[in-house]
Amino acid sequence: MNAPRHHVVVGSGVAGNQAAETLRSRDPESRVTMITVSKLPFFNRYDLPRVFRGERDWRKFIIYPAEYYLDNRISLRRATQVVSVDSARRTLFLAHNETLHFDTLLVASGASPYMPAELVEYRPQMHGFGSFRDAIAAADALPKDGHVILLGGDTIGLDLGRTLLDIGCRVTVVIEKHTFWPHEVSADERPRYIQALTDMGFEVVDAAARGQIAAVRAGEPGLAARRVLFRDGSEIHGDIVMPFFGVAPALDFMLGSGVDIERGLLVQPNLRTTNDAIYAAGDVCQIWSDADKRYRFYYGWKNVRAMGELAAHNVTGADEPWVPTQDEGLQLTADGRIHSPFWEYA
Amino acid sequence: MSAVPAPRDLIVSPTGEAVAYSDDPRDVGWVVKNIPCQSACPAATNIPAYIRAIAEGRHGDAYEINRQANVLPGVLGRICSRQCEKACRHGWPGNGEPVAICNLKRSASDLKNSGHRITEELFAPTGKRIAIVGAGPAGVAAAHDLSVLGHDVTLFERESQPGGMLRYGIPAFRLPRDILEIELHNALRLGVELRVGEGVGKNTSFPVARLLRDYDAVLMSAGCMAPLPLPLNGEWKNRDPADTCPDVEHGLPFLMALHRDEKKTVRRRVAVVGAGFSALDCARVAARLGAQEVVIHIRTAEEYIPVTKEEIFEAKREGIRIRGLRTPVGIELDADGRLTGVRFVQNRLGGWREGGRRLAIPIPGSEFFEPCDTLLIAIGQKTVNDFLDVPVELDRWQNVRIGENGMTSVRGLFAAGDYVTGPTTVIEAIGRGRQGAAQIDAWLMGETRRRRLVRIESVAEPLRERAFDFIGRQEMPTAVPNERLRSRTLEVDLGLPAQPCQEESKRCYLCNLKYQIDVDRCIYCRACIEVAPRACIKLVESVDIEADGSCGKLREAKEWNKVGAIWIDNNECIRCGACFKVCPVKCISITRNEFVEVDQP
Repeated sequence: MNAPRHHVVVGSGVAGNQAAETLRSRDPESRVTMITVSKLPFFNRYDLPRVFRGERDWRKFIIYPAEYYLDNRISLRRATQVVSVDSARRTLFLAHNETLHFDTLLVASGASPYMPAELVEYRPQMHGFGSFRDAIAAADALPKDGHVILLGGDTIGLDLGRTLLDIGCRVTVVIEKHTFWPHEVSADERPRYIQALTDMGFEVVDAAARGQIAAVRAGEPGLAARRVLFRDGSEIHGDIVMPFFGVAPALDFMLGSGVDIERGLLVQPNLRTTNDAIYAAGDVCQIWSDADKRYRFYYGWKNVRAMGELAAHNVTGADEPWVPTQDEGLQLTADGRIHSPFWEYA
Repeated sequence: MSAVPAPRDLIVSPTGEAVAYSDDPRDVGWVVKNIPCQSACPAATNIPAYIRAIAEGRHGDAYEINRQANVLPGVLGRICSRQCEKACRHGWPGNGEPVAICNLKRSASDLKNSGHRITEELFAPTGKRIAIVGAGPAGVAAAHDLSVLGHDVTLFERESQPGGMLRYGIPAFRLPRDILEIELHNALRLGVELRVGEGVGKNTSFPVARLLRDYDAVLMSAGCMAPLPLPLNGEWKNRDPADTCPDVEHGLPFLMALHRDEKKTVRRRVAVVGAGFSALDCARVAARLGAQEVVIHIRTAEEYIPVTKEEIFEAKREGIRIRGLRTPVGIELDADGRLTGVRFVQNRLGGWREGGRRLAIPIPGSEFFEPCDTLLIAIGQKTVNDFLDVPVELDRWQNVRIGENGMTSVRGLFAAGDYVTGPTTVIEAIGRGRQGAAQIDAWLMGETRRRRLVRIESVAEPLRERAFDFIGRQEMPTAVPNERLRSRTLEVDLGLPAQPCQEESKRCYLCNLKYQIDVDRCIYCRACIEVAPRACIKLVESVDIEADGSCGKLREAKEWNKVGAIWIDNNECIRCGACFKVCPVKCISITRNEFVEVDQP
């Protein structure tokens, strides 16, 4: 009798968990191991703005209890970092020097907040929003009714901005090319959406008009805690500065693995990489689109969950193509507010 | 350089340690296989030796060790393509990141005493005269080695100053000119006659035929200086847009003009096509010339382009963006003949080309347009031979063909460097220049006067500690992006200060150390296996013997009664010394095995 197959899922977000659940149901005899660098098990990232409303109990954000993983025989390995993958030998190398063999690997490691390289050195002066811990640190640093500067202003940042406005904060958005990411807004439409931001209560600063962002520094004594400097010499002040320049696939551990990569893991419409044993799902993969004649990313939890499910289907014998499930257009509501379909979470 | 004892004859060094010299293929094979950085270096630099010297604070010695293989250590410490780091054992899976070898090389140059004395043992004058054409890295390296060997060397250079691509191709923010000047001067100071502004060949005062008459040998190291045309489709098929559009320029002439102090400008949005160091240099220069948006368009993806990760990161810090999976197929001009953008076709990744590069396969029907108003083409260079006034046999790529002795089809005319191979890297050009020098010397003198042996020296105790394995890679400090964009010459990399430099030097595994177990004295207590941090000590049934006689694959024993020996797998060994320290019967020995160049007796 053959040994049960070992499916390894890297990442425990929406795609990874959906994939693990599907793998378990379609291949009941298999071993399923899920590896995540996060200390927390699967939690609801879309709910993170609640931290700024005072919700600090991490248990309130957790989606599946520990029993779920036990009941489904999914071996969840938290706080575990994959450092490299040998696709030929089907082996994962973990940061603590353990190696792990897999029969199939499903990469759902997601994406991490993107920081333009020219601003990387100012990261210590900014507050991230990529994890529960980051959100707590940002909320702790923000005084009541304080002033938040959102650099870039992607849809994740604007979603947080809505909450911040709602709780009485002053919110400045420094708009540049990543504003509204991942939505593609044409040059003709852009002024209407910028105006909508103003109508919603955001203060808007155009980085291009000031020669782009030059630096983020600590504030002068007696003034706000942070200041954003522009290349024209002007500056703005706020209590915290948060970067929202979109996300970049979290795939450092796949470099050198022998699997094709451009910005994300390049996958066929069936979500298979260039290695037969390795599939990818979620924000980490760049999927070939026959319609667009290019590799492209798809975002939004509905898309990501569907990708996780499809990848697991295909890992276990199916060969179905990816079909997007979510509207990608940025909308203007009747009352002149911006609405992103990526803000809808259920 | 002293005469060499017979191979394997043990002699006693001044410090009382046993030393042997060997040309046994097993010893040569061990060094080639087990010191991956040195084997990857085109100039075969003895990397573990110079890093050890840095760890001991002997920066001047480290500089000299470098200089034995590469006559421009301070230059290469800044701009090397770092093949050694790609091969470094510390970067193998599970071992962390490679040692910052190149940064250490630079540190040896930066941190040596200001009064450091260069030591070179010279051969007696031979009376032979050699002309070298082209004062780029290959020509300079060859000129240096030939002058050390006692020959009279004249170096002809078409430009007004020596250095070739180093001076005219690489921007000063990567390679400060004062560093280049000093090291070029040191390389050529042993009596090399430098004739700048002197072209060679047809329509010049120095036809090759004349050089062949006046000199005992001629070395062509004219480099690879003609830009490759960009193949386009449609109306631009077989036409070079750089000929007609003022906003389109080839990268190398652009950089060369800039470095001749000619005025160069770019417009607001700059597109660069190409994926090598020249493309990155063009983009970074454009950013310094005031471009608002600079995008490098590449055919494959960032992971597969032949530049270092550090260079890519620094370019991005300067606001430069890289866009992958695209091939230019045409350009668009407005009614005034000014550039409005480039038409690309989407690619997918294909297989691997010779030389380890990825193939890009255009996808039919996927054409798209990217607006830009300056286009710099930096997709490669080729050699030019139309200046030659003697009939020289060429290969299918129109490069000069040379024989095993480095000579062309014309007696006495040798060739080396990129002029023979097509465009490579500076360190490869230096390696090939040195090789050409050795070949000329052998041809002129009728014998090989220097040869490579393995020096084997007993080492009393491990030179590393296990704790060194947990030191993180020390990153190079750099200038603030906003400041560097204001200057075309402000050096970006600032150099490792002494303390991080020493920390980084400790990270080197010192792969030139060979750990061996004396099986006859081993009591098979397994203590070494217990303390080993990796599966590096193995109980084996047998060991395969390679064609050169060196040890190959280990056949591990699965049962006790099949154990033939206990063996240190030098491929897995990270030279931590834990086994040596724990052995109760001291049956583990350490030797330092390294290549040395010695005079023939």
